[in-house]
Amino acid sequence: MRRLMIALLCLLSSVAFAHDGMHMEMPKSPALGASAAFDSHGRLYVVDAAEGHVRLRHSDDDGRTLSAPMPVNAVAERIYSEGENRPKIAFGPHDELYASWSQPRAAPWTGFVRFARSVDGGEHFSPPITVHHDRAEITHRFDAMAVDGHGRIVIAWIDKRDLEAAKAAGRPYEGAAVYYSWSDDGGRSFMAERKLVDHSCECCRIALARLPDGEVAAFFRGIYGDNIRDHAFAVLHTDDRAPRVERATFSDWHIAGCPHHGPGLAIGVDGVRHAVWYEASHGPAIWYGQLDPGQRPRQLLKLAGAGASHADVAARGRTVWVVWNQVGAEGYRLMLRSSNDNGAHFGAAREIATSTGAAGSPQLLQKDGHAFVAWNTASGFRLIRVTP
Amino acid sequence: MTRLLLIVALLFPALAMAGTLQPLAADGIAALLKPPAHGERIIALWALDCAYCEPNLEALAKLQRAHPRDIELVIVTTDSIGRRQAIEARLQRMKMDGYPNRAYAEATTERLNFLLDPSWGGETPRVLVIRADGSRLGISGELAPAQLRKIR
Repeated sequence: MRRLMIALLCLLSSVAFAHDGMHMEMPKSPALGASAAFDSHGRLYVVDAAEGHVRLRHSDDDGRTLSAPMPVNAVAERIYSEGENRPKIAFGPHDELYASWSQPRAAPWTGFVRFARSVDGGEHFSPPITVHHDRAEITHRFDAMAVDGHGRIVIAWIDKRDLEAAKAAGRPYEGAAVYYSWSDDGGRSFMAERKLVDHSCECCRIALARLPDGEVAAFFRGIYGDNIRDHAFAVLHTDDRAPRVERATFSDWHIAGCPHHGPGLAIGVDGVRHAVWYEASHGPAIWYGQLDPGQRPRQLLKLAGAGASHADVAARGRTVWVVWNQVGAEGYRLMLRSSNDNGAHFGAAREIATSTGAAGSPQLLQKDGHAFVAWNTASGFRLIRVTP
Repeated sequence: MTRLLLIVALLFPALAMAGTLQPLAADGIAALLKPPAHGERIIALWALDCAYCEPNLEALAKLQRAHPRDIELVIVTTDSIGRRQAIEARLQRMKMDGYPNRAYAEATTERLNFLLDPSWGGETPRVLVIRADGSRLGISGELAPAQLRKIR
């Protein structure tokens, strides 16, 4: 009898564990969604999320050692921190530290874009604010953040208010929309948001980069016609000019689904728009191209095929670097291809790091003319210096 | 003692309902990809974050019900089994909890994607059809009627 009781109790405890989902919804171990940036003094800052906090770490030795984490949001909240949704970090003109993230709401696919700022190098952060003025319990997530040449903080995100309005009116509506806002006062407040465009992809990160004139441009996956998921380019004006959104890739990949795969963008001082993106019209492929909005990209090059994902691009002078994750049966390889002639030709792909555990999306950074790759892996955050 | 036993026994129906969601790790993929003895195994891949996945699962379930002896439908979410509660709630809401359900049990999502189907970049929904003759068919996105006809 006692043995039966023990067996029953053992079974019950395993069931109790299986239903202990409330805690699992907010993972204790940090998810791999992270962002990194150098400040003007060359100190590296990294943000990721753990236990309901965006947390900030810094390093004065190029990532070899990281400081103890400091919470950005004092009060715990839910935070998207995996895949295409990762906490962001950016610096103002005087090393003001800005953090943004997307906060899941109760219903599936919903979220609010959140923002906090620190003017003392991350010692203290302002209480988080919600960036958009719309407070409907719908999708406002996949935030992307950049600081323009005047120090304005520009944030763009994926927003489903137009989809919801169409649904309520019984009208069809493909995908979501991209909205954006900016702050003129160093992140104390954000302007009422503007719609950039209807019919964006619902689940792909938005790439932002600064143009030579200081404005911020966006490159993101849109929906053309019947679920052709190509990309669009637009400048996020912060004056009265209406945004002009133009199709910039022409892969004609048809998918009524979620690619979970946004592009990368880097703009040279010469204005060349170096871009990388994923599509699978003829099997998985990562492409490089120089955007010529309205036309096919120039210098189009397939960088990698099956197993390649989440590329990033950076440019300095006539050097262009591209990195991506290459997955195979044995794990993850961080791959690099570089060009010394402004993207006309690229060298062969080189493996610059490996991970048997999971790896987040790589991010290219620059310091003193050198390129680094921030790579958050299951065994810890890594900063890999790119050697020529 | 009897009372305790009674309580335990009363809890059992709830216990039987639980655990319909099984883990899928790298070492379980070969068995999942093994061609069935006859007909087709349809592996329907979905994610919590994918609004297109629900109609796709419904269409595949309808196809399976039309050919119950020939089609084995296995539903796999690429979300971590650590999100069991959210996954099971969604499966129940979609009325898909009666099918064999798996969730990724390793954090190396892209690696599991690759092992399941190297010609798949992780976009959802994805359907992978394994036929008795060993041939395979992979289709990304919500299935159009013509694509459904290609499956069977």
